[in-house]
Amino acid sequence: MKTVALVLLALTACASSDDGREAVVLWHSYAGEERAALEEVATAINERSTELRLVLVSVPHEALADKLTNAIPNGNGPDLFIYPGHDRIGDWVAGELIEPIEYYVSEATADRYSPDAIGAMAYQGSLYGLPLAVKSVALYYRTDRVEEPPATTDELLAMGRRLTTGGRFALVYDNADLYGHAAWLHGFGGRLFGGHGELTIDTPEAIAAARFAQQLGGDGGIVPPGMTGTLVSTLFNEGKAAMAISGPWLQAELEPDVPWKVASLPTVSATGQPAAPFLGAEGVFLSTRAHDMDAAFAIMDELAGDDSALRRARRGRQVVPNRSAYRVADIGGDPVLAAFQAQAEHAVPMPATPAMRMVWTPYETALQKIIGQGADPASALGAAEREIESYLQGAGE
Amino acid sequence: MRSRVPGAYWLCAALALVIALASFVAHRNRSYREREEARALAAARAIANRTTRSPDMVAGGLVAPAASPPRYPFLRRRTVDGRSLGGPGAPADDKLLYDIAQRATTHAIVEPADGDSARFVAAIPGPGGAVAVALVEPPSGPESLPVFLLLGLLALGAVLAATRRSALLAAGGAALAPVTFAWGGPVPAAATLLLAAAVAAARHAGLLTRASSELRRNRIAYTFVAPAALAMLVLVAVPFAVGLVLGFYDHRHGTYTFVGLDNFIQILSGGGHALSDPLNFYFTLGVTVLWTAANVVLHLTIGVALALLLRQTWLGGRGIYRVLFILPWAIPNYITALIWNGMFQSEYGAINGILHSLGLERVSWFSGFATSFTANVCANTWLGFPFMMVVALGALESIPRDMHEAAEVDGATGWQRFVHITLPHLRPALAPAVVLGAIWTFNMFNVIYLVSDGQPGGATDILVTQAYRWAFERGERYGLAAAYATLIFLILLVWTIVGTRVTRKERAA
Repeated sequence: MKTVALVLLALTACASSDDGREAVVLWHSYAGEERAALEEVATAINERSTELRLVLVSVPHEALADKLTNAIPNGNGPDLFIYPGHDRIGDWVAGELIEPIEYYVSEATADRYSPDAIGAMAYQGSLYGLPLAVKSVALYYRTDRVEEPPATTDELLAMGRRLTTGGRFALVYDNADLYGHAAWLHGFGGRLFGGHGELTIDTPEAIAAARFAQQLGGDGGIVPPGMTGTLVSTLFNEGKAAMAISGPWLQAELEPDVPWKVASLPTVSATGQPAAPFLGAEGVFLSTRAHDMDAAFAIMDELAGDDSALRRARRGRQVVPNRSAYRVADIGGDPVLAAFQAQAEHAVPMPATPAMRMVWTPYETALQKIIGQGADPASALGAAEREIESYLQGAGE
Repeated sequence: MRSRVPGAYWLCAALALVIALASFVAHRNRSYREREEARALAAARAIANRTTRSPDMVAGGLVAPAASPPRYPFLRRRTVDGRSLGGPGAPADDKLLYDIAQRATTHAIVEPADGDSARFVAAIPGPGGAVAVALVEPPSGPESLPVFLLLGLLALGAVLAATRRSALLAAGGAALAPVTFAWGGPVPAAATLLLAAAVAAARHAGLLTRASSELRRNRIAYTFVAPAALAMLVLVAVPFAVGLVLGFYDHRHGTYTFVGLDNFIQILSGGGHALSDPLNFYFTLGVTVLWTAANVVLHLTIGVALALLLRQTWLGGRGIYRVLFILPWAIPNYITALIWNGMFQSEYGAINGILHSLGLERVSWFSGFATSFTANVCANTWLGFPFMMVVALGALESIPRDMHEAAEVDGATGWQRFVHITLPHLRPALAPAVVLGAIWTFNMFNVIYLVSDGQPGGATDILVTQAYRWAFERGERYGLAAAYATLIFLILLVWTIVGTRVTRKERAA
């Protein structure tokens, strides 16, 4: 209720502004330094522009998706919004929430971004957003326990056995979560969907990846049992884990006295392919009910522009997809940003089809059985595929 | 005053006027739309046939097929009559032309151009992927409301009604029917006629007089009840009705299709899942019944035992204990559930910590059905016993002390006194508490969702959490979830009816 009141307040505030400039309302769910960086960008845009005014409205992250799907069709939504992933584009297109923007976007604009990042914003042959940041997991390691990060999975296992002793573990990551497991899945050559959108859950590659996860996290493994996302930062901070697989957001949770570095994930020894985590592209999207499309896009273009990217990388520590940013010394030379940027080069954009939403829970149930209870990967993944298939038929995909 | 127009006529005329106006607005919009669509299509056809362009057209032309740069298949540039659409300084209507050309690849489209629907745009696909697009602006607005015609008809009706004969009152009320027929067709016209006939008949039978005098007589009572009745209607009756109806629909991508009893059949036939599969309705029902029974039994035994203990006179500081035992009840249950979930964590949870320090094996609580179910029951027992304890304490207060004293004098043992005096007095108070507690437990979403979250593999899910998962985790199958909710309601309805019967007998005995 409080946020609804805040939103209403913000909307009335901008409607009643009388400086003669047209307001463009943007919803976002940033907090902390990311929010400060966005506010800095907004101030810069508002100082430059004589006709438009960007109004930021902060919405709590966990409420953002629901608010968008409820508010936009009723005409109460924003003109623009920032969403921390591209994986719901398919849903939004089906629900007519977002406007295709290829009318506005020139080749030169598209050239600003890394191909994966702008490609993640496309769906069924249309472009639906401009990328602001890319997010993927990478390998954090404590320099007091690990000198060189492992280059291959064989090295990881060998190192892991050395480092796992007496309540201390070599590696922590959210292994019962598909997001955490995806790096191995892709590294072993597996994918969730085939070329024609068909399910490919229990392929030999996926089974090999699940067996590897079982080796890591099962009995006698190098990952503690019963892992969840919240334990990752705790164990890494306490030194009970030498390495952690997590995203840029982990930095904020690390204690100042922990010596750490970030590196790319190791290459999968069995295939020679680098482990490739999911790539989530954070983007800015244009509402189908925007009051003035041209004005809203002009703001959107600035938000995702190179000047904004520099500010967001410096202040908000975002891994921006703008290629020009990494030619600037302080960003190209930043070890953390550069490491995540390097990992983003070996990552697989998260599928944006609505079918993806049926995949998460059954796949994670299978992972729990495989890693937690030593179930046979082939039969557990087979059961997951059948379960997802039955949901897809029910939903008429 | 014999010729005064009766109130019933004005009631009838007001309703008929609403129908007539609605018919007129629909008629006006339809004919306006048809006129403008024809003009837009004609303008687009002129472009497609390369004949003289229509003077109505404000923007448009032949839009060339989209060209994509090889690296970006999702960027599609288009030109109109050789000029590139969009880009810096482009005319404001360019996006309109671009968007409709994008959609009109296989069939012609004609539609309002903007939200206010004053302008219309048409697109006709031509050979080679080119699209002829025309935007037209109307030379004149839609026709205006014939106010004098309506007033005349109403006056005519009033004259007829003033004769105070029921047949002529009906005829007067129906005066608007001919124009309604012209604008809206047979359905609204028939509605107007029926309305007139119904009002005349009701007046003839004196129903209107009786209803208005009933309202007038109990005006204060109805005024007091109205806000509460309205709130109940909006907050309880409407969502309930929507939920019931939703059970007969199937939802995919924002559209609802009527599927009759399909959802119920799918659920009650087990949906093709084996009986040992948590997705089978009967499996979940079994778990839910087991869950409810285990909890109620534990709540009852622990609650009654503690209540008896707190009645003992040798126990000091009973007031403090009483408050302490009620505390679990006072804390919001989702907080308690989250704490229990943390305590059952396999590696770092408090419970395994204790087991480990006692030299016992750590238990992976949520990977087996029995242990996961136990964890849920522990959390919910903690939450549930205070209620039973409070009810039992209240009932114990009402047992006269002299009964116990008399029994003691007669040489009854403590156990005999409990069975023959305490229990019979507790039963009438506890029976409704058990009925209520069972309903709460049956629908205890928070504990299941937050403690075990259905692990392993949905086996510890109960009916409400399954319904939730169908709605929000398995592709927004709102219809199926609503059908689940209806079934839960029916089960609890039967339970409540049976429970109340038993309670009533208990009272009577």
